[in-house]
Amino acid sequence: MSAQYVINVQNVEKSFKVYLDKGTTLKEKVLFKKRARYESRQILNGIDFQIPPGQAVGLIGKNGCGKSTILKLLSRIYKPNHGELSVEGRVSSLIELGAGFHPDMSGKENIYINASIFGLTREEIDAKMDDIIRFSELEEFINNPVRTYSSGMYMRLAFAVAINVNADVLLIDEILAVGDVSFQKKCFDRLLEIKDGGTTIVIVSHDMDQLYKICDRFIWIEDGQVKEDGEPRLIGNHYLDSMEEARLERLAQESREKFSQIGQEGNPEEDASRGGHTILELTEYVHPEARRFGTQEVYYTKVELLNKDGEPCQIFSTGDEVVLRCGYAAREARIRVNFNMDFVRDNWQYCYGSCFAKAGEPLPELEEEGWVKFHIQELMLLPGKYYLDIGINGVNGELYDNVRNILQITVREYAHNEFGPCTFTHDWTLE
Amino acid sequence: MRRVRELLRYHEMIVNLVKRELRGRYKGSILGFMWTFINPLCQIIVYTIVFSLIVRSDLDKFYVYMITGMIPWLFFDNSIRMGSGCIRYQGDMVKKIYFPREVLPVATVTANFINMLFCFIIVFLVLFVSGVGISLKALFCLPLIMMVEYVMVLGFTLIISAGTVFFKDLEHIVNVLLMAWIYLTPILYPITSVPGKLSWIFKLNPMTYIIEAYHAVLYWKTVPTAVVMSRAIVAATVVLILGEFVFARLDDNFAEEL
Repeated sequence: MSAQYVINVQNVEKSFKVYLDKGTTLKEKVLFKKRARYESRQILNGIDFQIPPGQAVGLIGKNGCGKSTILKLLSRIYKPNHGELSVEGRVSSLIELGAGFHPDMSGKENIYINASIFGLTREEIDAKMDDIIRFSELEEFINNPVRTYSSGMYMRLAFAVAINVNADVLLIDEILAVGDVSFQKKCFDRLLEIKDGGTTIVIVSHDMDQLYKICDRFIWIEDGQVKEDGEPRLIGNHYLDSMEEARLERLAQESREKFSQIGQEGNPEEDASRGGHTILELTEYVHPEARRFGTQEVYYTKVELLNKDGEPCQIFSTGDEVVLRCGYAAREARIRVNFNMDFVRDNWQYCYGSCFAKAGEPLPELEEEGWVKFHIQELMLLPGKYYLDIGINGVNGELYDNVRNILQITVREYAHNEFGPCTFTHDWTLE
Repeated sequence: MRRVRELLRYHEMIVNLVKRELRGRYKGSILGFMWTFINPLCQIIVYTIVFSLIVRSDLDKFYVYMITGMIPWLFFDNSIRMGSGCIRYQGDMVKKIYFPREVLPVATVTANFINMLFCFIIVFLVLFVSGVGISLKALFCLPLIMMVEYVMVLGFTLIISAGTVFFKDLEHIVNVLLMAWIYLTPILYPITSVPGKLSWIFKLNPMTYIIEAYHAVLYWKTVPTAVVMSRAIVAATVVLILGEFVFARLDDNFAEEL
């Protein structure tokens, strides 16, 4: 064990027994012996990380990936099945607030009970008493029984105790949502103070903004393993992208099921209007809200949304290069059409639209099949979710093919000073 | 040894839990702390009526004999009853915060022990009022006997509290056992009236020696015999070591099981 690390986790594995049908009474244990089968669920699968003193680490990952289990292992509530785990110094966990509170006892008595559960001695509690009471803002009520407190007051008292325990290592699990906004801010500021005081912090949260403000490092846990470990912004973006990809994949799955069902049932009216061409053949990532109209004189056969490297992509940043490439086919050659596309925000606000030919210019003449490409040098949409619509119109505005909400694109969050759907090239100056 | 040191580091938590137990239990009730006395007093009155008016005993001032055994028994009885659920019912705390798990049974037993000390006020009142009086020389042994009983009760409570986490019926089984156990301990009748055929049960029962020691000091006003004392001490030590052994084996899995 090297001295430069406060927390040392080496190849830790943890599994839980999950009883399929658990009998706990004697009768059940004897009669249904065979039913007491359980499967062992592997939650952590060889986790490795070291944390030097004073570092604030955010654990991120989707629900059930094992973040909270790691915290419980660090706080010694669970024991690992395998591997080495050591934490040096006093550990305090902001996992459970108000442990041991007795409703009939006064706020002050409860502070003693609660703080002693964190392992403080009487002298330490006495020394901190004023700080705790001041922090909780409950000076007037501190001698009243806790049962007379509102739930907000109760949580304030509990948090005040937990955060005033001087610890070398502080473990926090998703609890910075205490009390009203001003109290939350106070808790947050206090947490930053604690961090500046050199306390090592491990925090689990889904609030990325909060994590960015506190953490020096992110560890991304997936399927019981460390997926990525490093600089918060970088890991955070990778994590969010992966979440977004998973979401889009789920949407695509949903729409595949939805549209193939419609196809089977057969809706003659709709089929006729689309000339038998379904949405599913256009792209794998079709959105479930997609709708297709038109006479199909000329129709789309493929839709691709690509990033600057020519790879399929639906997650972009403002300023990215984007390529929309669509395959088309026409019933007869030499037909003249106008292609168009537009972006609609997920609140159905129309944001941007463009068509191939300007007003008054002649429309392009088509081969029997081919590709049309719309190249966006710089995407000017601000962060948010947008739907892509594509269409083909004839010379007199006939609707040949029109697909609404075919794809959803996500523009990533970033530290910005702009709001609304689009960005301008801009400067703010004082004169 | 490491576990004991860890437990001592959390002495403040034990103190506070005991306080919470003692003060919290009767908070909000009109008679409040008086219930500490009323409860055993009523039990004693009932037993006294039954065992000195209906079932006659040839012991002189039988009710004194009964009270001196009953108060220590109630400490044993209450500790185990309350102790059986002490970890299970504080599962939320066990699942979310680290502390040496022994704190919970130790606090339960200690709270009941302090309760017993208060109840000894009744015992001494009865001793004086009835004219039995006290012997100072014998009384010097009382703290030792109390300590031995504490150790034994703690040992039993450790086993039961840990066991209940994994096997919830234990709580109810214990209740039934305790009901029978009082009749296998010389409290409601002198040990001399136990027929020879059954005396082996009483000899196996570790509580027999504890209660006999109390009787010796308070009722017979003599120093308990070396045999009684040594057996009580050995039994208490064995139970405590066994209790801690079982507890230490099981407590790693408390959080997962709850």
